[in-house]
Amino acid sequence: MDFAWNSEQQAFRQSVREFLDNNLPDNWEALAHGPGSEAQTSFSREFCGKLAAAGLLIPHWPAAWGGRDADPWTAFILAEEMWMAGEPRGGQYMNVNWIGPTLMKYGSPDQQQTYIPPMANGQTLWCQGFSEPESGSDLASLRTRADRDGDNYKINGQKIWTSYASDADTCFLLARTSPGKGGISIFLIPMDSAGITVRQIPSIIGEGDIHEVFFDDVTVPETARLGEEGQAWEIIRTVLSLERVGIPRFALASRMLQRAVSLLKKAGRYQHSAIEQSARANAACEAARLYSYSIIDQRSKGIEPGPEASAGRFATVNCERLVSEFVVEHVPEALAGEQPMLLAHHQRGIVAGIASGAAEIQLNLIATELLQLPREPR
Amino acid sequence: MDFALNDDQLAVASELDKLAARFDTSPVDFHGFALVSNELDQQLEENGFFELASMDDMGPIAAALATERLARQPYTAEIALSMLLRPMLDINLPRPFAVIENGRPGRFVASAKTLIIIDGDAIGITHPAAAHVEALPDSLYAYPMGRLIGSPDIKPLPAEQAATVRTWLRVACAAEMAGLIKAAIDATVEHLSVRKQFGRPLGTFQALRHRMAECTVLAGGVRNLAFKAAWSGDAGDAALACFHAQDSATRVIYDVHQMSGAMGMTLEMDLHLWTYRMKALLSELGGRGGQSTAVAESCFAEA
Ligand SMILES: Cc1cc2nc3c(=O)[nH]c(=O)nc-3n(C[C@H](O)[C@H](O)[C@H](O)COP(=O)(O)OP(=O)(O)OC[C@H]3O[C@@H](n4cnc5c(N)ncnc54)[C@H](O)[C@@H]3O)c2cc1C
Repeated sequence: MDFAWNSEQQAFRQSVREFLDNNLPDNWEALAHGPGSEAQTSFSREFCGKLAAAGLLIPHWPAAWGGRDADPWTAFILAEEMWMAGEPRGGQYMNVNWIGPTLMKYGSPDQQQTYIPPMANGQTLWCQGFSEPESGSDLASLRTRADRDGDNYKINGQKIWTSYASDADTCFLLARTSPGKGGISIFLIPMDSAGITVRQIPSIIGEGDIHEVFFDDVTVPETARLGEEGQAWEIIRTVLSLERVGIPRFALASRMLQRAVSLLKKAGRYQHSAIEQSARANAACEAARLYSYSIIDQRSKGIEPGPEASAGRFATVNCERLVSEFVVEHVPEALAGEQPMLLAHHQRGIVAGIASGAAEIQLNLIATELLQLPREPR
Repeated sequence: MDFALNDDQLAVASELDKLAARFDTSPVDFHGFALVSNELDQQLEENGFFELASMDDMGPIAAALATERLARQPYTAEIALSMLLRPMLDINLPRPFAVIENGRPGRFVASAKTLIIIDGDAIGITHPAAAHVEALPDSLYAYPMGRLIGSPDIKPLPAEQAATVRTWLRVACAAEMAGLIKAAIDATVEHLSVRKQFGRPLGTFQALRHRMAECTVLAGGVRNLAFKAAWSGDAGDAALACFHAQDSATRVIYDVHQMSGAMGMTLEMDLHLWTYRMKALLSELGGRGGQSTAVAESCFAEA
């Protein structure tokens, strides 16, 4: 057991920090507010282009696709530093983490040539069309249909909560080609296809984040399908395993906790229950951090993380919750708009237990797979 | 960064497993609180386990692993302080160790050869004579409790050494708590898996499954933070680990008792061995308030 970073890892982290120092504009914190806003999206395109040029967008991708085969630690250190800075990559983090690698594994040569280079250059934005009004945690019940129509498919249905949909170039869509879990297929759909309507959903979590996406007789060729008909569930499992650690949320939460305490100290308000609550939140951030590191450690040794990944996700939910609650109680001016970065963190933090899989579903998995409790009756 | 045990640590873990196996069930007729084994103590002593932290290829992390592992046994002895504090002070100090915090009763005080005396901000050390201490046989805590009755000569420790003592007491508390929490969860999971009500095992009810899952997430956090603190010896890491241990245990104790029903109230299930050891640790080093102050000083110093 050893908790030290090696010199290569330290140097890499330092190089990412220097890149951020040199490339984030002075007004970045005001811009970071609203992860899917037009202002941030256009900034992210420029920023990701620069990251790509500096070799810092996809270091963990295979050399054949423009990466340098870096190990999982490199990818995670990069993700930590980006998220800690307020995620200047915007929605492109999805390309880097899982959409690109999924296409490398399952895409046809045409799909790979079309979609991977723009991701590697930081020039394209995707959205993830999974959730539907009637299918959230129970994703396998989704109803959006893709019906065969000669050499084409006709897609009809509705997606919801789709992040980045209004600016995305392409949608990674799940649609039903036949009944049951084994009847779901994946389609890669240009968002400017005829029949797609995107509506932004006003929300408490910032401008431009979540959307409804309607598909009315959207016609796509068979070549838009990723993998075989009915292969979605298998592919999704791979995708989710790439995403299992999730976003290194603890990194920003921990930084914002430091900032909140610093504001309190300056104002002479760091006292009484604030001291104990800051300790509790700090311990939760560090617990989440070590969980994530232990999972990356496994992955770097070629072990696919099991239910501990769910435990790590839940620890992260705890830390986001405690930091958010700390700020609301002790630095209320942040939510009144006086501290844009604390406000932006609040808006991101409150979805930690819902976005990319609800916390209670993680608890179900932990109970069954980690604790080995008898299963719930179905 | 590497969470796997190295070969030396694996060897210690396997030796400990072998040793611990002899102390892994309470006697059938045991209906008491403090289940202590002098034989366990002697075995650990004879096999050099109390020196792990000062051994070159082992270090404090091996001592923390051993402390966590041994805390999962129903039989106990004065282990944590001897493993994690003594080597940091002076490996030649006589053991058992115990702490008197602001005049309160403490664990293993009646048998201690070295007593750490915490009095507000001051920390001193003494070697009490038999007349200076007495046992408290009516204690509910599942450790032998004792108190100081005389006034032995106390040697004050310089500030730097006092800080070292606080840090390693915190690491010891977190490592021991990690083992206790794990044992309490294991016992409860077993109960939930076999006890049936409404025609099905209790463990199939989601209201209980989720609470147990939350407890186990906390348990993993306590464990990692304790090991990290043992590895770094940093005052901030130790304070965070100890805070998280005491905070998590507060919740776990309630949940495991609640889910064990009346059976958990008996002296037969052994649940009290874990929960009333945890309860003894909850107040140490000022409890959560004390750890918070330390976190504020160490982790938010630059905020
Ligand atoms: C900010 C944000 C961004 C998102 N972005 C996207 C995106 O880009 N693409 C996309 O497809 N989706 C996206 N989502 C949707 C997200 O994946 C879903 O919100 C999530 O899967 C939960 O589904 P739901 O909201 O329908 O909640 P529900 O499934 O209705 O759950 C509501 C509550 O019930 C609980 N619950 C449900 N089932 C069980 C059960 N069996 N046992 C116990 N409790 C249960 C849940 O844990 C939760 O607490 C996003 C969500 C958010 C908040």
